[in-house]
Amino acid sequence: MSSERPKLGPDIPKVVTAWLSATGRVVYLTKDRNWSEDLADAEILTGVEANDILAWAAKDQTRVSDPYFMQVTADGKVAGRETIRETIRARGPTNHPMFGKQAGNN
Amino acid sequence: MYRYDEFDETLVRERAKQFRGQVERRLKGELKEEHFKPLRLQNGVYLQLHAYMLRVAIPYGQLNAKKMRQLAMIADVYDKGYAHFTTRQNVQYNWIKLADMPDVLDVLADVEMHAIQTSGNCIRNVTSDHLAGANLDEIEDPRPWCEIIRQWSTFHPEFSSLPRKFKIAVTAGETDRAAVRVHDIGLHMKKNADGKVGFEFIVGGGLGRTPFVGPTVREWVAKEDLLSYLEANMRVYNRHGRRDNKYKARIKILVSELGLEEYKRQVEEEFAAQNTWEKVVLPQEEIDRITAYFAPPKFETLPAVSAAFEAFKSASREQARWAKNNLRPHRTPGYTSVHIALKQQGEAPGDATSDQMRAMADIGERYGLDDIRVAHEQDVVLAHVRLDDVPAVYAALKAAGLHASNAGLGSDIIACPGLDYCNLSNARSISVANEIQAVFADPEFEDDVGTLHVNVSGCINACGHHHVGHIGILGVDKKGEEFYQVLFGGRADEKATIAAIQGPGLKHEEVAPAIRRVIDTYLSLRRDGGEKFIDTMSRVGQAPFKEALYAAA
Repeated sequence: MSSERPKLGPDIPKVVTAWLSATGRVVYLTKDRNWSEDLADAEILTGVEANDILAWAAKDQTRVSDPYFMQVTADGKVAGRETIRETIRARGPTNHPMFGKQAGNN
Repeated sequence: MYRYDEFDETLVRERAKQFRGQVERRLKGELKEEHFKPLRLQNGVYLQLHAYMLRVAIPYGQLNAKKMRQLAMIADVYDKGYAHFTTRQNVQYNWIKLADMPDVLDVLADVEMHAIQTSGNCIRNVTSDHLAGANLDEIEDPRPWCEIIRQWSTFHPEFSSLPRKFKIAVTAGETDRAAVRVHDIGLHMKKNADGKVGFEFIVGGGLGRTPFVGPTVREWVAKEDLLSYLEANMRVYNRHGRRDNKYKARIKILVSELGLEEYKRQVEEEFAAQNTWEKVVLPQEEIDRITAYFAPPKFETLPAVSAAFEAFKSASREQARWAKNNLRPHRTPGYTSVHIALKQQGEAPGDATSDQMRAMADIGERYGLDDIRVAHEQDVVLAHVRLDDVPAVYAALKAAGLHASNAGLGSDIIACPGLDYCNLSNARSISVANEIQAVFADPEFEDDVGTLHVNVSGCINACGHHHVGHIGILGVDKKGEEFYQVLFGGRADEKATIAAIQGPGLKHEEVAPAIRRVIDTYLSLRRDGGEKFIDTMSRVGQAPFKEALYAAA
């Protein structure tokens, strides 16, 4: 299925993203192991230790569903072959920008 | 319209109550997502790109004003003021919080609606002809049979865990408006040599990754054998359908791999082997009870020609165009069916605001005998409107921004939600559809082009039915960029054909100009007398259109 996300090697900067279980809102894992709706708050991960953090996130099932790695640039911007998908996911649908986070509509 | 009896009412209420408990356990952390997922899917709840999505069943697309108003209320209170009408004649909401889902199921139950079996590997919403009971060419109203199949298939224990989802459509017209040849099972009501009405069984059609036009498995099945013969098909599928590979799990693959003759042999063997106690013999009184809900409304005796309607058409080109494109002939003199195209320029195909939904409810209640249908083209239809009332209907639709005069034309595009909403999609559909709509922004030009079905899907799953568009558009991902393959020559009617992919994908911004070149080619090649796009393409072949498609790409 196209819902499967690409595998990212240890050297590629990445964040952990998921959906809040209660609302379905898109969130990103922060350094203090909380979940933020703002990508700018996300902890940027590299190295094999990132897998441990994803494994931790996968167990945080009361708060979130289906966490996975999302590629970013070194300074935390959406990057890689899923840029369009993750940009839409981060900001909201392009046909209804008033509904998305880009409109501050959280 | 069918009304719930005490069993339906209890079943739907209890299911909503049960799901409330499951949601509460999920939110408390007592259920993990992996355990909760199959439970939510059985209640139509998906986790999509931005939020949870709820798919609400509209059996065979049939609504009334009360239901439509409740759907509008849900859009306002629990969503963002919108709903999306789908190619399965259902409705979807894109932003409902999980904690609110049980409340939404309760308010749906208040108007005899639910979300049961709108997902999962079960028999999904049965679809039908949106002009059933109104059109000129049907031999019988197919909706009672849709309802009978709905009741038989709801929570059927033997078919609640099929290899894959299963879609059934029923039509009874000479013209197939329900796309029965591209369903898992398509039922086309026909008369046999003795003049008795029964069902042609078409099995193994479908779109998606591996599209097929379904072959006829039996030319005619008697009404009394309908459910037993359906069960025979379902049992063969349940027994042999592949569960090891979801891409090869649909019945179309089984029919293809077994071969039609062997598949037929197995079904006939199963049908013959059913024990007497296994046969689902429908009591005539039960058929009569359900059929009574679909009895024709009390139509007035009216002249075939309405002076008010004739004056309406003469008053402006805009009104004449809308009447020509959006009204369908009705079997009763003095009546028509009104096609409300949810395809205004620049809007997401199939989307309606809550205000527009209330407007359709009001108009349907006041002028349409309270009969409102969802069409698989993602449009809404008022099946029974007096010609005398057309001017008032048009004025009310115009006030609500629902007067697009493009039904069946180039900008009446079928499109899935695509990458703007869908977690499976590879590319956006809505924006491409909007750019193609803009090609037809000049109504005179769109009228000149005439009948044209453009279908857009954001991925190979084909929710936008790109395989059966006269022009199909398929979004693909190429190393992180959106590209769009173009297909030609598909159709979903009684001459169902799978469209052919033309070649390499085009960039997003290249699609609409390419479609314009294809249309210009059609206009240069068509015969006088209004030869349709699809007929010109059939006559001259696809080569000149392909050449135009890639001419400046």
